[in-house]
Amino acid sequence: MKTIYLCDNTLEGILCGVYDAWSSRKGHDNVKLELCDQERNIELFTEYEEVTTEQWKADKLVLSIRKKISEAAYEAVYKASLSKEPERADRIYRFLIYGFHIGAGVTDMLQIPAVFDIFTICRHLDHEVHLLTGFVRFAEMENPSLAENNSAVIGSAAIGSAEIVEQRSYLQRTGSANSILVSKIGPKNDVLVLLAPHFADRLSGENWIIYDEKRKKAVLHPSNRSWFLMTLDSPEWEDYLLKAASQDQYEELWKIFRKGITIKERVNPACQLNHMPLRYRPYMTEFDHSLKD
Amino acid sequence: MLIQEDLSIQEKLNILSDAAKYDVACTSSGVDRKGKAGGIGNTVASGICHSFSADGRCISLLKILFTNQCVYDCKYCVNRSSNDVVRTAFTPDEVCTLTMEFYRRNYIEGLFLSSGIINSPDFTMDLIYQALKKLRFQHHFHGYIHVKAIPGADPVLIEKTGYLADRMSINLELPTADGLKKLAPGKTRSKILTPMKQIQKGIAVNRYELMEYRKAPKFVPAGQSTQMIVGATPENDYQMMMVAEALYQNYDLKRVFYSAFVPVNQDSSLPALPGGPPLLREHRLYQADWLLRFYGFKADELLSEDKPNFNVLLDPKCDWALRHLELFPVEINCADYYTLLRVPGMGVKSVQRILAARRSGPLDFDALKKIGVVLKRAVYFITCSGRMMYPVKIEEDYITSHLIGEERRRSWDISTKGAYRQLSLFDDMKLTAEPAAFDQHSILTGSM
Repeated sequence: MKTIYLCDNTLEGILCGVYDAWSSRKGHDNVKLELCDQERNIELFTEYEEVTTEQWKADKLVLSIRKKISEAAYEAVYKASLSKEPERADRIYRFLIYGFHIGAGVTDMLQIPAVFDIFTICRHLDHEVHLLTGFVRFAEMENPSLAENNSAVIGSAAIGSAEIVEQRSYLQRTGSANSILVSKIGPKNDVLVLLAPHFADRLSGENWIIYDEKRKKAVLHPSNRSWFLMTLDSPEWEDYLLKAASQDQYEELWKIFRKGITIKERVNPACQLNHMPLRYRPYMTEFDHSLKD
Repeated sequence: MLIQEDLSIQEKLNILSDAAKYDVACTSSGVDRKGKAGGIGNTVASGICHSFSADGRCISLLKILFTNQCVYDCKYCVNRSSNDVVRTAFTPDEVCTLTMEFYRRNYIEGLFLSSGIINSPDFTMDLIYQALKKLRFQHHFHGYIHVKAIPGADPVLIEKTGYLADRMSINLELPTADGLKKLAPGKTRSKILTPMKQIQKGIAVNRYELMEYRKAPKFVPAGQSTQMIVGATPENDYQMMMVAEALYQNYDLKRVFYSAFVPVNQDSSLPALPGGPPLLREHRLYQADWLLRFYGFKADELLSEDKPNFNVLLDPKCDWALRHLELFPVEINCADYYTLLRVPGMGVKSVQRILAARRSGPLDFDALKKIGVVLKRAVYFITCSGRMMYPVKIEEDYITSHLIGEERRRSWDISTKGAYRQLSLFDDMKLTAEPAAFDQHSILTGSM
């Protein structure tokens, strides 16, 4: 009989699932991993087992992946856990079977289907991160509104009150505290964590927020400090971001520039579409009137 | 010539970005630099595209002219002195504000500053230098800057600018000195090549300085590039490629850009080009350019005096492979890197993956597909463990006819983009000759 392990939708959750399934000694063919918050069909003749996420199990597995396989393999597992692939938990499990068997060379062996799956997942993720480093658009808004709005906005977010005070003071204490850059994205994969370091390095002296509309998460970066991730599940946030997008004067200049740089004799919408898929465009200032030029 | 000073920033941006659009280079690649506390910006070695304009070209840098006023009268240029267009100029402050504000909003990756020649080359170069200095030291901008070196400017100015910029470029414009004399009377070949040589030497010297002292200021760290216009003068592809190869070898250029000639001026010395800009020819030149830089090809392998132009129906690599069938098929599991690179349908990435993957065991066609090899093209030229995928005649005509079907569709797309053709059951678009009277009669009467 097959056993299906239901794990949390986090890296730790998946790793705990791998740990439990492996150490159950039922055999790799008799176990399967699934994510518990995913819609799925209940299978007949299977046993379902809920995995409780415990940090020590995840830590232990991470340590052995890094030691016995390689850093590159750990990076691949980490990225795969952020992907949109519904089967990602099981994919990671199948990958790790080969990983622990073969060792460091496993990430190059694309002829193995399990490795190829992880490779495609990571490639999709990397491409999306790279495109978003270019396609994220910030809109500037004044900070005074932050002072009043902040309590309403962040107050309704799902975090403790001590943190709120701390964050507000973060944003106000800093040098260029008179403005804040906000941006909204809707990526297929959960790329926020991979995107943040790029902007933290680039715009280190700015206050900025990147909000993932699909997962209701945001990265906040107070100027000259490190960034942090938080869950922001409230309609106030959407309004707040919408307002920000409509008051920036440089948007008009940017649109003028884009229009000016186009050579009319060479117009080629198919080529443009290849490089800049439609799904990114609703979040970009230059396409706020329509998705086509 | 009157410079309009009282235009708004919107109007200036419109005029000066429109005037800069025929410069092709918009890459932001070649240098990796981390951000700095107290400053803004970093650079990424791969470069980042921030948007794509309606013509499908990437917008990575804020590409503007400092001024569209110019003392030269180059026939092909929209800003030539004899054209009646509104002339205006940015101030260094305006350039800085635009760059900084666009950069903060993540619209751009940096600045691309070019300029028409105002008063004299020295004067123009100095203006550019002042703008860059302000941007780097007052606004603490650490993003990417691509700047044009003005031919004929003082070497000292060029050197000082080079320490502020990431990439410099001087446009060669036309591949031969004759063409330049005809279309750009103000410029000479030596005026263009002198600063190019100077920058090349500067980069070489700087390399030693950096070896001695890691924190020495960097001179043009992302290298230099140039641009040639395709189709304005009667040079053939062979001449273009030989010039490009010489530039890569003798001047250590990072890139040579090719720009399909777009007729913006009416002039008796310019070609008419009724079919639009020569986009397919530009595409083939870029394909060949990649073969020179990454695939270890030589220009005279791809083309020769007898065959001076690229095949319209086949890409340069397939064309080369078909003329050298004696070298094929190649065995995937033991051929070396450079042999594999010469197989059509394989690129640098897929070859590297093949080399890594075959260490652990033999590869088959299924694995090759996963690795990213384009089997549609590669299948005629490779074997896996001594077998071809299916029986193939290693014969030029056979392979050509199989390859050309797909390639014809694509080259048709490039050369006549935007046009649509009625779906047809018959292959009549391939026919060039009129049907004979006998055929017409037999079709009409139904007596086939």
